[in-house]
Amino acid sequence: MTTTQAPATHAPTGTRRRGSLEPYLYLLPHAALFFMFTVYPIGYGLYISLHRWDLLNNTQTFVGTEFFRNLFTSGTPQFEFFWRTLWNTTFFTLVSVPLLVAAALGLAALLHRPIFGRTFFRAVFFMPGILTVSVMGILWRWMFDNQIGLVNAARDLMTGAPPIAWLSTEGLAWVPIVVGTVWWTVGFNMTLYLAAMSNIPHSLYEAAALDGATGGQQFRFITWPMLTPITLFVVITTALASFQLFGQSLVITNGGPTRSTQSVIQYITEEGFTNSQISSAAAMGFVFGLMMLVLTAAQFRLMARDVQSTEEK
Amino acid sequence: MTTVPPKGVPVRTPPRRRRLPREWPRFLVLCLLSLLFLAPVYWMISTSFKTEADAIASPVQWWPAHPTLENYRAVLTSPDGNILRWTWNSLFVALTFTVLHVALCALTAYPLARMRFPGRNAWFWFILSSLMIPGIVTLVPTYIMMLNFGWINSFHALIWPGISGVFGVFLLRQFFVGIPRELEEAARLDGAGNFQILWRIILPLSVPSLVTLAVFAFMGSWNNYLWPLYTVTDVDKMTLPVGITTFSQRYTTEYGKLMAATTLAAVPALVAYLIAQRFLEAGLSTTGLKE
Repeated sequence: MTTTQAPATHAPTGTRRRGSLEPYLYLLPHAALFFMFTVYPIGYGLYISLHRWDLLNNTQTFVGTEFFRNLFTSGTPQFEFFWRTLWNTTFFTLVSVPLLVAAALGLAALLHRPIFGRTFFRAVFFMPGILTVSVMGILWRWMFDNQIGLVNAARDLMTGAPPIAWLSTEGLAWVPIVVGTVWWTVGFNMTLYLAAMSNIPHSLYEAAALDGATGGQQFRFITWPMLTPITLFVVITTALASFQLFGQSLVITNGGPTRSTQSVIQYITEEGFTNSQISSAAAMGFVFGLMMLVLTAAQFRLMARDVQSTEEK
Repeated sequence: MTTVPPKGVPVRTPPRRRRLPREWPRFLVLCLLSLLFLAPVYWMISTSFKTEADAIASPVQWWPAHPTLENYRAVLTSPDGNILRWTWNSLFVALTFTVLHVALCALTAYPLARMRFPGRNAWFWFILSSLMIPGIVTLVPTYIMMLNFGWINSFHALIWPGISGVFGVFLLRQFFVGIPRELEEAARLDGAGNFQILWRIILPLSVPSLVTLAVFAFMGSWNNYLWPLYTVTDVDKMTLPVGITTFSQRYTTEYGKLMAATTLAAVPALVAYLIAQRFLEAGLSTTGLKE
């Protein structure tokens, strides 16, 4: 026993001696694919955006920053539609993020303490999120159908008001997209909030109750401050997801009426794959990607903090 | 003060009776919200059983007056697209992607979490920093790569580009780091090599995080919409989310059929959710932020 004990304490050294190449062999398959599908496309995309890439004639003429300059020169269609659809997407984000955070927090607050049917309610609020965006989109297009949708029918039933042309009225067309998105994704955020709430020590509430704090005061002075980190995380990830708006507006309104609900990603794909302006689309991808980098960097920082707490002690 | 309950009376009754009045407003609010959340799903399913005339009847029919399976029959035998085929394609792509992705992530996370070697931290931070690159940046170049590889209209385009995603490496590494050294050392005493340690010790202990990653990978692939929309345009090779939208564009005014198709497209996800519910919600709440 005593003789075998000695090498045991040196186990890490043994690992190293066994062959210093071994860890790299484990990393190799992922690394190869990572270079191929993550690192290389970034450089390749930059190359494409600096050339006029003609898929039909298979020519690639160097044009420098022309496609980037188009985006900042008023009068070009790229300038007009890129910024317009970017604003559409920003508008959607500004409206949907507060709704999605507040609704998730509200649902979590309702479900946090035990109540009859809790598991069922949780499942009901979470479930829409598992549907694919096209199913969700088709469903909400039908709900808000201009003539015979359920929303108009319910309106008619309750107020006798004539149907509203939700899908083809500028401005109003956002309603089905936003409502559908909240219905679709609020459960994810709610689950994050529920997990965070269950981590708040009970003793805090007990102490507050002893001091005579009401439920509202407990929420204001204990729950809300304790949830700040998760709120930050939820706001950033929800904003990032909202800026990726694509499927909802494509399926529900097809970007209409007159591009008023077209998202910037839908416009980029239209430019690249429908208009075959591959290089222009690549340039827009870079510009939009750079804008998103601020948000992703914030999310990255939150994740990195998580890594640091698990760095080898 | 308190009166002793007479024998035979359940002791739990008084507290329950006292709790109910205080909780009922919250319960009522939850019931109303649930109704709102379930209404679209109910409307989808109920429309799918209506005749076309009933589907667009005014005033609306809350319950199918002449329930029929005709819509489902029409949808399943439609010449414009095969829902079962699309489901199978989605399943094949998502399963293949999930197995490969989880294996690749585990293989990468293992040395990053459990071995010491030069460049370990540098490599980890390098791949991790790729999480900052928004996907839109690589959309066009990856599409051109698919063209060059001849992978347009092939499942390769749906499986390979996302396979080296880094979030899974991050997730598994975080879990692997926490596994006690003692277990590993005991196995080393018995002469186990690194791969055996991974296969026999680390992976069996990591089942919850592996399942979490698998669920995420599967859902991500199954629900992917934008990429398959442009890389796979052959009707027979489409995945379910893309196929169902082409179907809906063709049947815009036949609501019964449209809702039957949508219901059929929703069923696999609903069934999977009922099976994986526990993992899904637990996984989601543990992969957010540790505080």
